[in-house]
Amino acid sequence: MARGADRYASRADTLVFLGCVLLSIAAMSLPDGVRGPFARLLRQTVLAPFLALQQQSELVSASLARYERVVAQRDSAALAATFLPELRSENARLRSLLGLGVRLGSGYVPAEVLRQAEPTSALTFVVSAGRAQGVRPLAAVVSPAGLVGMVSAVDARTSVVVTWAHPEFRASAMAADGSVYGIVAPHGSEGPGRWLLELQGVAYRQLVPDGTLILTSGLGGVLPRGIPIGTVVGVVGEAEGWERTYLVRPAVHPAAVSHVMILTGPSLRGDLRSAFPPGGPGESGDTP
Amino acid sequence: MRRSDRYRFYVVLGGLVVLQFAVRGRLGDDRVAPDFLLLGLLLFTLRARPGPSAGAGFLVGLVRDALTPASFGVGALAHTLVAYLAASSKAVFFAENLFVNGWLFFAGTWVRNLVVAAASGKLKGGMLGWELLVWSPLQSLTTAAVGVLVLWLFGRHLAIRLGDA
Repeated sequence: MARGADRYASRADTLVFLGCVLLSIAAMSLPDGVRGPFARLLRQTVLAPFLALQQQSELVSASLARYERVVAQRDSAALAATFLPELRSENARLRSLLGLGVRLGSGYVPAEVLRQAEPTSALTFVVSAGRAQGVRPLAAVVSPAGLVGMVSAVDARTSVVVTWAHPEFRASAMAADGSVYGIVAPHGSEGPGRWLLELQGVAYRQLVPDGTLILTSGLGGVLPRGIPIGTVVGVVGEAEGWERTYLVRPAVHPAAVSHVMILTGPSLRGDLRSAFPPGGPGESGDTP
Repeated sequence: MRRSDRYRFYVVLGGLVVLQFAVRGRLGDDRVAPDFLLLGLLLFTLRARPGPSAGAGFLVGLVRDALTPASFGVGALAHTLVAYLAASSKAVFFAENLFVNGWLFFAGTWVRNLVVAAASGKLKGGMLGWELLVWSPLQSLTTAAVGVLVLWLFGRHLAIRLGDA
């Protein structure tokens, strides 16, 4: 291989470098209407085999985990055959883990999260379901614990999900009893409050006690009503005596999610509170 | 360079791409697992001139931007900068040393994350500090360790000359 003096950057090298930098800056400046289709084109052509490979890898990984779980369950069943109450308890636990899909009935698509290595992967990520599976833009993305985000772009077999941690995420929300309405947005990216949400625009005369469960309200028709978003943990600010902003601890952490369900179909525009009963799965945010 | 060396080099790069999409997800925390794609790019810069390295960095970054659309174009910029600097730095440093190449992999990964975090504008304050001082160094460390292992195992077949580390 050539070595020595040719390692120094020549004028042509510098020009290529500057050209690439300018193209990168141009890509950063592209409007959403251009960058979205361009990124979709890359995902559907150059990246399609690699995304398929990653999806298969995730399936194999999940299958191995399920196999180990099944083996453990089989052993447990053999042991519990002599201890019927323990067997019933095990069954109840597994039913609760698997219950979300049953409670939702039809109108959802399960998908694996295809994670990437960059620091912003908790803000948006690609999932292994797309138009072929019935996914549509703006569909709600949930885990058994609650809201993960919404679909921002749909390809043939993959989709891009914007999580609630993305600075531009907004959702119409309400208290679990329907007494208070507001807008939920990310709290920010600094200090101890990072990875928290804010419930904004609550009328000053309406107090929301700590521990109140916050759900999607369904207003606006984007997200279905009744998906848990998080719980109120305190007041974060007041605006001139006419509104309060509350701090909300999210029900799901995007970085902890490996499998999600994408809600589809017109039947899910109803109230989903019954699909997310209080005291359900914890805050792991991960499906079984 | 022998023709067989060239083929082996691209086979190793292809292997790293497969590892990125097929294995990386099983290597634990996503923020710490080695970045095989960036490692492949840095290995390419060990042999290539700065211009082609910058071009390869731009293409790799653009492809990655399609997978993390939170900040489209930032990945292309970061990978272009890292690839060009890595290829140019061979003129300054003694690039045949395994230890120096390990540092190159470490610094390349960290600088890539620095540029992505800074240019995207999505990470600020404490989150930026955690990313740059905790998660990025850990990911850089694992990437450098894999890079050193790859060079140690295949270096003689990749036309990358290594002296005593």
